Amino acid sequence: MSAARRGPRGAEDRLRRLLVMLPWLMERGEVPVAEAAQRFDLTEAEIAKDLELVAMCGLPPFVDELIDVFIDDGMIWVGVPRLFTRPLRLNAVEAWELLAAGRAAMELRGADADGPLGRGLAKLAAALGDDDTSGVRIDLDRPDAANTLADAVERGEQMRITYVSPARDDVTERLVLPRQVFTDRGEWYVTADDERSGEVRTFRIDRIETIEPTGLTPTPSSDPLPVPGSWFTDGSIPRVTVRLAPPAHWVIERYPHDDTSDPDDDGWVTATLPVVSEPWFTRLLVRLGPDADVVEPSEWQNTARAATERVLARYRRS
Amino acid sequence: MADRVERLTNLLALLLETPEPLSLVQIAGELSGQYPESQTARRAAFERDKAALREIGVPIEQEIIGGSDAGQTRYWIARDRYELAGLDLDDDEMRALQVALAATRPGSSSAQDALWKLGGGVIDRGATVVANLPDAAELPTLREAVSTRRTVAFRYHDLDRAVDPWGLLLRDGYWYLIGFDHERGERRTYRIDRIDGDVSIDPDREPFERPADFDPRTAFPDDPKMIGADATAPDALVRIDASRAAAVVRDLGSDRVRRELDGGAVEVAVPCANVPAFRSWLLGHLEHAEVLEPAAVRDDVVAFLEAALA
Repeated sequence: MSAARRGPRGAEDRLRRLLVMLPWLMERGEVPVAEAAQRFDLTEAEIAKDLELVAMCGLPPFVDELIDVFIDDGMIWVGVPRLFTRPLRLNAVEAWELLAAGRAAMELRGADADGPLGRGLAKLAAALGDDDTSGVRIDLDRPDAANTLADAVERGEQMRITYVSPARDDVTERLVLPRQVFTDRGEWYVTADDERSGEVRTFRIDRIETIEPTGLTPTPSSDPLPVPGSWFTDGSIPRVTVRLAPPAHWVIERYPHDDTSDPDDDGWVTATLPVVSEPWFTRLLVRLGPDADVVEPSEWQNTARAATERVLARYRRS
Repeated sequence: MADRVERLTNLLALLLETPEPLSLVQIAGELSGQYPESQTARRAAFERDKAALREIGVPIEQEIIGGSDAGQTRYWIARDRYELAGLDLDDDEMRALQVALAATRPGSSSAQDALWKLGGGVIDRGATVVANLPDAAELPTLREAVSTRRTVAFRYHDLDRAVDPWGLLLRDGYWYLIGFDHERGERRTYRIDRIDGDVSIDPDREPFERPADFDPRTAFPDDPKMIGADATAPDALVRIDASRAAAVVRDLGSDRVRRELDGGAVEVAVPCANVPAFRSWLLGHLEHAEVLEPAAVRDDVVAFLEAALA
């Protein structure tokens, strides 16, 4: 959302931004252009262009007098306000975003009903006609370890963890500097500088067996954190194309995928999935059994077969 | 012709200021030179502007009049419906909402617009704890319907439903709607990402009453293996190898352990009433887990694996 990376702005976006910016400017009367630009995520040139434009707006017989605003010497000046003194009401989507975000944050640590978030949320709910909170419930099911790790992020403290690697099915001891704790699709994760690999790694918190403080506060790496929700979509991750029968369609709902076909006459769909871990995908194919067929790469057909035979051997042995 | 932003701003100002509803001919007259001359082009441009303003959230009222101008539509904007009602948020409350949005909706442009309307600044990135809430286009409408007690209509599992939405629940990464299904005459739970197409509020039904003690959290089965299953069905006995034992016992709880074997393997009791869900969980452990009994479930697993190799 940074101003530098955005493409050309459409008329609707420009107007939308103006309608929140004008009331804010009118309340203040005079504001440095730089401050307004930063607050509304625009360049100074974009602000100047939009304000010059609205200054020309008008209705007969008072052409050019609708919005009395001009820029001089790096300052925005606003005259006597008549219109657009209050922001536009929240639309249904914005109301939802605020309420859902507020109620989710109440499930994070440190929030209580009498605190600022609880009070702000109560005012918001009242203004939107929500008389209670039992209409929308958010369970984030936060494990204790998430709190321990969030504290470590705040203190910048390195932690010693033992981690059950889901991909290799082994337990490793690691020194990690936690940098962010997040929850996505019902699971909790910690993203940390991992000393062993020298990289930023994401760990599933329910696979961390033990956590101990080290008392060390090393300098965090300058590597950027992955944006939650986008860390599945890395184009360098290998892809596998599979056909899925109706009982296996949950895979498409549960896991990220590039694209899917429409169902054929028997209800099978073809989907392409990023495979972040080979053991994970092997397990998935065994679980799906006769309800999944690998299209390509064909090596996966053999991998799935061999794994299925190993499981079956266990039943035939006894 | 004027810049589109200028025309939209003028149209907005005109409809807010007008003491009485205006027809398109009157609007084009007031905004002289800003709309095309030809009637068809003028109507098309105006419809586009009206849609743009409504998309931004501007409530444009309209009425169809009778009398000598019968059939003509007139438009206006009611200022009290346009303006955001004063929330009077204190500074610390505003900051708390801003932090909440940073933790749950980083990168959402509607969340940013909402915060700007309330008078907040740019939503930060890089919060310590982030909850990535799943999105669904139906949620804003459903929330409105829950809050105003209006019946909704949608398609689910190939059937048209009329549902009194009692509440919304986010659990295990999915949004659920819990409500009263008119056709079935009972309470039902729906996964929102499985709703087919749009959700609409039924304007013809009276607002419903919700049971006073309703709480979405108690209206939901705890163990996903129990969804759609009979709670009195017997458990399956599953042997877990030592390499997996600790993780499985942590997931299920130690009260599920029936036997501890030499070398670290364990035997655990697991609900198996919903056989496909049970099988999927079991096979996730590959050859490190084996269902011992009941025999019917064991046979089912073997048949499933053989079918995969066929």
